[in-house]
Amino acid sequence: MTDAEFRIAFEENKDAVFRFAWRMCGSAAVAEDIAQEVFLTLLRQPGRFDPARGALRPFLLAVARNLALKRWRDDSRLDILEDQFATPAVDLEGREAADALNAAVASLPPLQREVLILAQYEELSLEEIARAVDAEIGTVKSRLHRARENLRRMLAPLRSRNAGRSISHGTLG
Amino acid sequence: MEPLDDRELDKILQQWQAPGAPPSLAVKVLPQRPSWWSWVLTGTIPVPVPLGIALVVAIAVFFYFRPPNRPEPAQPSKSVSLADFQPVKQLEPRIIGRTNETN
Repeated sequence: MTDAEFRIAFEENKDAVFRFAWRMCGSAAVAEDIAQEVFLTLLRQPGRFDPARGALRPFLLAVARNLALKRWRDDSRLDILEDQFATPAVDLEGREAADALNAAVASLPPLQREVLILAQYEELSLEEIARAVDAEIGTVKSRLHRARENLRRMLAPLRSRNAGRSISHGTLG
Repeated sequence: MEPLDDRELDKILQQWQAPGAPPSLAVKVLPQRPSWWSWVLTGTIPVPVPLGIALVVAIAVFFYFRPPNRPEPAQPSKSVSLADFQPVKQLEPRIIGRTNETN
């Protein structure tokens, strides 16, 4: 990969990678660290990306996902990470809409959260998500279904409050 | 409380905006382009191995088969011109005769 090609890849994907890491980790500083590692990986090991296996953006998001999960493991939060069938409970009463949504998404198990973010916000196909999270398509569908079920239940209190207001830039967790 | 339906959930989720990548990320990731004089002093040029080997062999062959140095033809130490020849200013003939003609 030439310097010019790398610059184009960076400009086209930096926001998507940063957004994904931000939504996964809930911290701008951590998201920037992860995004930096993602692009340095591409710069130093361009051979890891095989265009025959898919587009560049899903590959970069997969690298970001692995780095985010590695941070979870390093923080000894394996129990939360492995509990993909957990039914989170979070009290949203009295919270602002942004806080409520952030808290609800942050309370999802990471394996549910990542498929939700990749599908809902990065608009990856089920195949691309399955490749990114190294799982079967059926598993991805199941996790996505559980994530949406949990959010449907947790975010129900927002129904009456949601009047088209924008929920932006809150902090997760 | 009744759970949200799909449409209501999508509507809420679509409102969750994330910030874009900060400018500091580009500074950390994109390699800085060196100035031309810095490149002249410290730059490198990647050379393919076959080309490098071919260059080394060519240089070795050139020096091995180079014709030996021939001695340059000796140059006259000093050029001579007709101006250096001067006519005889005073002729002093001297006659040497036989003093003893006994033979």
